[in-house]
Amino acid sequence: MKLKKVLALCLASVMVFSLAACGGTAEAVSETAEESAQSTEAEDTTAEETQEEAEEVKAEASDAAGEVPTYTQLDISKYSDVEASIKFLHHKTDRAEDGTMDKMVAQFNSEFPNIKVEMEAVTDYAEDSLLRLSTGDWGDVMFIPAVDKSDLADYFMPLDTLDNLSQQLNFVDQWEYEGQCYGIPYMANAQGVLYNKAVFKDAGIDKLPTTPSEFLDDLKLIKDNTDAIPLYTNYAAGWTMGAWDAYIGIVTNGDNTYMNQKFVHTASPFTDPGDDTGIYNLYRILYDAVANGLIEDDYTTTDWEGCKGMLNRGEIGTMVLGSWAFAQMQEAGDTPENVGYMPFPMTVGGKQYVAAGGDYNYCINVKASEENKLASLIFIKWMVEKSDWCFNEGGYTVVKGGKNPDMYAAFDGCEVTSDQPAKAGEETYLNDMNAESELSFNAGGNDKVQRIVEAAANGSEKLDDIYADWTEKWNAAQEELGISVDF
Amino acid sequence: MTKNVSVNNKRTFGEWLRSRDGQKVLVMFAFLILPMVLLMVFTYIPFAEMVRYSFYNMKYVGARKFVGLKNYIKVFSRKDCFGALKLSLYYMGGSVVQLTLALYLATILSFKVKGGNLFKGFMFFPFLINGIAIGFIFKFFYTRGFVFDTVLQWCGFELDNLPYWLKDRSINNISLVGTSVWRYFGQNMVLFIGAIMSVDGELYEAAMLDGANRFQQFKYIILPSIKTIFVLNVILSISGSLSAFEPPYVITDGANGTGTYFVVMHEIAHTQQKVGLASAMAVVLLIIIFIVTILQKLFFKYIFRNNEQ
Repeated sequence: MKLKKVLALCLASVMVFSLAACGGTAEAVSETAEESAQSTEAEDTTAEETQEEAEEVKAEASDAAGEVPTYTQLDISKYSDVEASIKFLHHKTDRAEDGTMDKMVAQFNSEFPNIKVEMEAVTDYAEDSLLRLSTGDWGDVMFIPAVDKSDLADYFMPLDTLDNLSQQLNFVDQWEYEGQCYGIPYMANAQGVLYNKAVFKDAGIDKLPTTPSEFLDDLKLIKDNTDAIPLYTNYAAGWTMGAWDAYIGIVTNGDNTYMNQKFVHTASPFTDPGDDTGIYNLYRILYDAVANGLIEDDYTTTDWEGCKGMLNRGEIGTMVLGSWAFAQMQEAGDTPENVGYMPFPMTVGGKQYVAAGGDYNYCINVKASEENKLASLIFIKWMVEKSDWCFNEGGYTVVKGGKNPDMYAAFDGCEVTSDQPAKAGEETYLNDMNAESELSFNAGGNDKVQRIVEAAANGSEKLDDIYADWTEKWNAAQEELGISVDF
Repeated sequence: MTKNVSVNNKRTFGEWLRSRDGQKVLVMFAFLILPMVLLMVFTYIPFAEMVRYSFYNMKYVGARKFVGLKNYIKVFSRKDCFGALKLSLYYMGGSVVQLTLALYLATILSFKVKGGNLFKGFMFFPFLINGIAIGFIFKFFYTRGFVFDTVLQWCGFELDNLPYWLKDRSINNISLVGTSVWRYFGQNMVLFIGAIMSVDGELYEAAMLDGANRFQQFKYIILPSIKTIFVLNVILSISGSLSAFEPPYVITDGANGTGTYFVVMHEIAHTQQKVGLASAMAVVLLIIIFIVTILQKLFFKYIFRNNEQ
């Protein structure tokens, strides 16, 4: 009996112990993986060196350049006989499923038959890619996940200098560090608002709204005159709420240095400027829309896949999402002509501003072999300039002077600009502030926007209380990190 | 062994290895080495690493800074970290319901019941489904006007009188607990049935001859006999409720006041990338679970003290 009891206790405690350990194990394992990757790095480099030597011999024989050229130097038409096998890690699971990726690679292979491209689409890219990155063994080409700019050179190969690249391409400064660019966006997004043209017409709206107050009035009209949901929040998906952060800066105050330079130095970014602009009035739209019942009935069970068809069919009036969503909304139903895209309803100094910026950026593994680096660069250059992927996705053109899809017609007369990079030496400030304050603007801080919806629906908090709390966290983070408060 | 050595200390190591004693030790190590290595590599070393991380201010990538006990102080001072444990009370309440239901059904099913095996199968079935899949099932189950509301309307409820199962903050945690009760009670029940089966059938006959009714049989024969399994189930359920994760993570993403300790920990570790703080939270939770388990052990020792004599 005694023995049995002891056994049972042992069993129970071991089970309990392993249960509790579960929480930490995943994190810890990835860390040890990273460490082991670091220790094998040394071996890798020696292996690489011998490989390089072998390559040099080959290069001399074939009379090709031994070093990988920069992006702007590279003339891809001269390299059609390059032989390599590269791996491309990306997040476009939908495009992998519908065959778009395979079609593009097939097209690529018709020009570069000897570069074999293996692709892997990752569903939870933002998280998984970081874990893969820390192992160092993820392939040759990927989309840059959320890393600190100062770490870029440890992981990725510099593609070209900013000065050279920015003459040919737009939005290349997102992953610039000390003059070198480590990434090139595969497409660019403009930040506006999705709407259904038929719903707007039925509601009696003949002019697109240009201020938050007009927008709220229009939502009210949609509610009164149609059966459509005026503003669909997509609360349950989470990241769709974080999408509201994209309007901070250029859209809310017309200043393209705000997001990456001034924001972290601002003492109270969330005060009401009093003229229907600013971050204050950005989230006020959401708060007031929820408080006045201008959103879906039960926000906790919204369905991201389902909402695409609903917007297309006219069951939803508006959704606040980047332009990348436009193509998906059009594909989701029988009335793609009704899906419209408009600039964000906020007017600063008599002008509407549109923030445009690169989406995920291609990058090349710094640990890849020289020939794979060359092949990867050829692949990236072809994807950016020849594949039309950006145009087909409804993206704002990455190549300077490239054509834009028709959906941006409503953006005529608006000032389209992109966020300037952070000042030298302050590249990591925004990431640091986001992590320390846990507000995570434009970095997965979905719960803070969800909180606005909850507060407005339950009446548990006033908008001013939320802003006061954010300001407190923001200031505490500034103090903790020693970031000067200049504005 | 020491006696052996003293008696015959001229034996070389090779001889000793070939002897009966040596073979015994050799076989013991050979059998033990594999599980020990697995246990070390996949449980204790990562765990030790995690404890070490809890003293650092660090992200997954980039530099680390030693901060001492600062992370632990934060765990206790932050509202969202320690406060999230309050939600565990819902899950503990749910585990009481779950165990009662499981014990009740197990007792019934362990006597002769028509279609007993069929019922057992049906009730055990949810445990076989993947937790993520269960999350998605219940997401639609609770959606306004979907499955649950429809079923209740068949029963005569008006849709307007029904609450929003996941939106209404006063009941959304109960809705979530419901899913985990649904999932786990079948498993508890099967464990209980197994234990009850081992009770000698003659005891029931003897008890009936003495005039004991079903409830008295349960109280004086079944319950004391399945004590060990019962205590184990309670401990597992309580520590399970402290570390509830899947239902809130999949169904509500921890939003709207449903973020349990684990969900908050996940958020801090992966979105905010404060790996040190999250590791500290994990260590604190482990300690809490230890304490709770020991308390439960003492409690049951007190409850069952009469049976010992």
